Amino acid sequence: MKVSGSYTLPVAAETAYASLQDPALLAQCMPGCESLDKIGPDEYAMKMKMALAAVSGLFDGKIRIENSKPPSSFTLIVEGHGKIGHMKGTGDVTLNPQGESSTEVLYEGDVQVGGTIAAVGSRLVDSTSKLMIKRFFEKFATLVR
Amino acid sequence: MATTTVAKTEKLVGKRIRRREDPRLITGTATYVDDIKLPGMLHAMIVRSPYGAARIKGIDTSAASKLPGVTAVYVGKDVVDVGPVPCGASLPGLKVPHHHILAQDRVYFVGHPVAVVIASDKYIAKDAADLVEIDYEPLPAVTDPEKAMTAGAPAVHPEWPDNLAFTYHQDGGDADKAFAEADVVVKQRITSQRLIPTAMECRGVVADYSTGDKALTIYSSTQIPHLLRTLLALMLSQPENKLRVVAPEVGGGFGSKLNVYAEEALMGWAAMRIGKPVKWIESRRENYMCTIHGRGHVDYYEIAAKKDGTILGLKVKIIQDLGAYHQLLTPAIPTLSVLMLPGLYKFQNVKAEIAGVFTNAVPTDAYRGAGRPEATHGIERIVDMLAVELKMDPVEIRTKNFIGNDEFPFKTATGLEYDSGNYALPLKKAMEIIDYAGARREQAEARKQGRLVGIGISTYGEICAFGPSPATPAGGWESALVEVDPTGKVTVYTGSCHHGQGEETTFAQIAADELGVSIEDVVVGRGDTSRIPYGIGTFGSRGTAVGGPALYYALQQLKEKIKKFGAMMLDSPEVEFANGECVCTKSGKTVGLGAIAGASYRAMKLPAGETPGLSVTYFWEPPNFAFPFGAHIAITEVDRDTGHVSVKRYVCVDDCGNIINPLLVDGQVHGGVAQGLGQALYEHAIYDDNGQLLSGELMDYAVPRSTMMPWVESSHTVTPSPVNPLGVKGVGEAGTIGCSPAVVNSVVDALSTLGVKHLDMPLTSEKIWRTINGSAN
Repeated sequence: MKVSGSYTLPVAAETAYASLQDPALLAQCMPGCESLDKIGPDEYAMKMKMALAAVSGLFDGKIRIENSKPPSSFTLIVEGHGKIGHMKGTGDVTLNPQGESSTEVLYEGDVQVGGTIAAVGSRLVDSTSKLMIKRFFEKFATLVR
Repeated sequence: MATTTVAKTEKLVGKRIRRREDPRLITGTATYVDDIKLPGMLHAMIVRSPYGAARIKGIDTSAASKLPGVTAVYVGKDVVDVGPVPCGASLPGLKVPHHHILAQDRVYFVGHPVAVVIASDKYIAKDAADLVEIDYEPLPAVTDPEKAMTAGAPAVHPEWPDNLAFTYHQDGGDADKAFAEADVVVKQRITSQRLIPTAMECRGVVADYSTGDKALTIYSSTQIPHLLRTLLALMLSQPENKLRVVAPEVGGGFGSKLNVYAEEALMGWAAMRIGKPVKWIESRRENYMCTIHGRGHVDYYEIAAKKDGTILGLKVKIIQDLGAYHQLLTPAIPTLSVLMLPGLYKFQNVKAEIAGVFTNAVPTDAYRGAGRPEATHGIERIVDMLAVELKMDPVEIRTKNFIGNDEFPFKTATGLEYDSGNYALPLKKAMEIIDYAGARREQAEARKQGRLVGIGISTYGEICAFGPSPATPAGGWESALVEVDPTGKVTVYTGSCHHGQGEETTFAQIAADELGVSIEDVVVGRGDTSRIPYGIGTFGSRGTAVGGPALYYALQQLKEKIKKFGAMMLDSPEVEFANGECVCTKSGKTVGLGAIAGASYRAMKLPAGETPGLSVTYFWEPPNFAFPFGAHIAITEVDRDTGHVSVKRYVCVDDCGNIINPLLVDGQVHGGVAQGLGQALYEHAIYDDNGQLLSGELMDYAVPRSTMMPWVESSHTVTPSPVNPLGVKGVGEAGTIGCSPAVVNSVVDALSTLGVKHLDMPLTSEKIWRTINGSAN
């Protein structure tokens, strides 16, 4: 499934870029995130509670950042699995400065889910992903100031 | 000896008698597999692959094994010596993957069993199953059979990179010549989408091993207890005479339980290993992932005809989505489609090819109609398209090409011999019921108002009464055992293991009529291999059409024996048996069946050359299939704004030969129509490109609800079959086979004013809306 969109953050591109790779901040903003720990350069371990349709459960995952080009772009790779299935997402994130204290974040990616969440919740994956991304940025925008 | 047998004179065959099995079914007092509780019984939960294709790098069962209450956790290497899940079909050059009961180093479809946890209750088993850690390396998957055939597609089985399990060719007549001589050729790609059989009761197994006498009992929700016994004996290396299979009440099968599944062997193996009974009950999600699917055809049709509508020949290429493995009959199903291709028409030139293709999906196999709905849908769609091309009425083109009443038995281009038929008759009757001319006038009026109203016809034939043994993989005969016990009560045991079809009623009607006893005095037993002579089972509309004649002949032999005892007891050779008693035609003296039965077991005296007791076993081999037929007409209206299809009227006239019980025939047709309508409008088992089943539960897989069903106006014509003494033909699949082309032809007719020539099922509102709005797909 393809995911794309944009969100404008009220900070400069450099701040936005650094904040988007700050585990503590990300953990606060990601819906359902229970922990996010840096386990290597550009690599994080994550525990996250996911709920989709009638199923919910804990996901163990890894987030990896590749192709880092501060402060303008990076690629985000998320992989996770849990008792309710597994997911893999890759996304290209591009930051466009819009003046001194505003940055447009463009994201474009592909999400694949499997297991029970695919069997039971496939019709909701699209809307749930969009909702989670929206919630993430809304929270992020308030904390990044 | 005392007897309470009540003689009766009123014939029951042909009467609308309510099903005797229904009270226990609708009051919740029937015994299904899940109702079986044995002392010390353990519960199994199966850990299944969440990937369409993956390598298993490691399995860690330690945490699961340590959970209190867990008896055992088994993985692939534990069961490597159990024989493979069998494929009963043989085709030249067929590639048969070794189908282990638990995955070894690789998984091939979502739901593939990888490990089994056995625990003291099912909740502990589920918790422990969640603790089994499996390290998968995901691999690319392929689920679209046409994509699977393209170069570079992921190989489902690495040893066969072209994903081709078999190819099959069948020619009848000279199709190339027919096409060369044709005035018109119409071509269309026609699909029959993957469907999920959705029996109300999912599968379930209880395995009980007696360590004392080393005997295994398997309770399974199956349509074929004896075949299952034989094949499980081979898989488990358990002597067949120490293996008993019981099919208790079975809550629907539709072909999905005409199989031997990994779980049946796995539970048997585990019970033998542990020495305690083990139960496994399939959840609905497992049922959708792991129990066979049906259909899965992509077919390329070409029909050749003369300008006057005379059909000359047909060429068809069938691409069958097999899934990842062959279940019992998987590769054989599309060969039934080939047999059915000529439908009711007399053309003698057919060229058919099948490509059987592996995909990363659960195997397809027999689902109500099994190959015949696909072919009937194809021929009935392409004949309609030919009618449009030639600007002929769909009725006219059909009647012009029907096999004539004087041409039976009729040899088809695909090698069948149709037993009897009067193909124009049900069509004529259906047209009268629906007022065809009036309906066309109303359609013209509606079109003037801009409404999208369609009339669709399907005239179907089907192959029933499976079948003569040479045409089946495991024998096509059926058995019956009739016993009159010493008190005169009658028990009928049938090898055709009915599971909702109602033979408990119809077979009792037959026995009651032949023996002249009350239906209350007849019990019909089934499903337990320890009580019933070897039998084949119920599928392919064979219960009444093959099991019925076996019963009939057993009853005739029994009657002869009864007459001999009667003659002895009345001391006269001039004896007739009727209405439950023997009558001496000279003296008028009588002796009742109860007294005769008592005397036969007491055996103070026996007729010359006779044995004691009143018990006859009969195995009947049918000389041919039986070929029912019929006509279905659907009037539909499409909502221009939403694309929603409403079935305004649905008329079906089926000819299944003689009718034992019209109420049950109607029930079979109505249920069949529900499943045909499901395929036509709603149902679709959808896998994504990674092999994830997206329609994985009833929230996403649209089985028709009662509000989605039209009022089915069903009627019958009667053309007896000469193949069996009852003159019956079979009706279990008729509704499903006849329905989908009638509905799709109707919707295409409704949309023809917009230039639509063909649509593939299911005709969901979205698909129709997109078609109307010019953005198909």
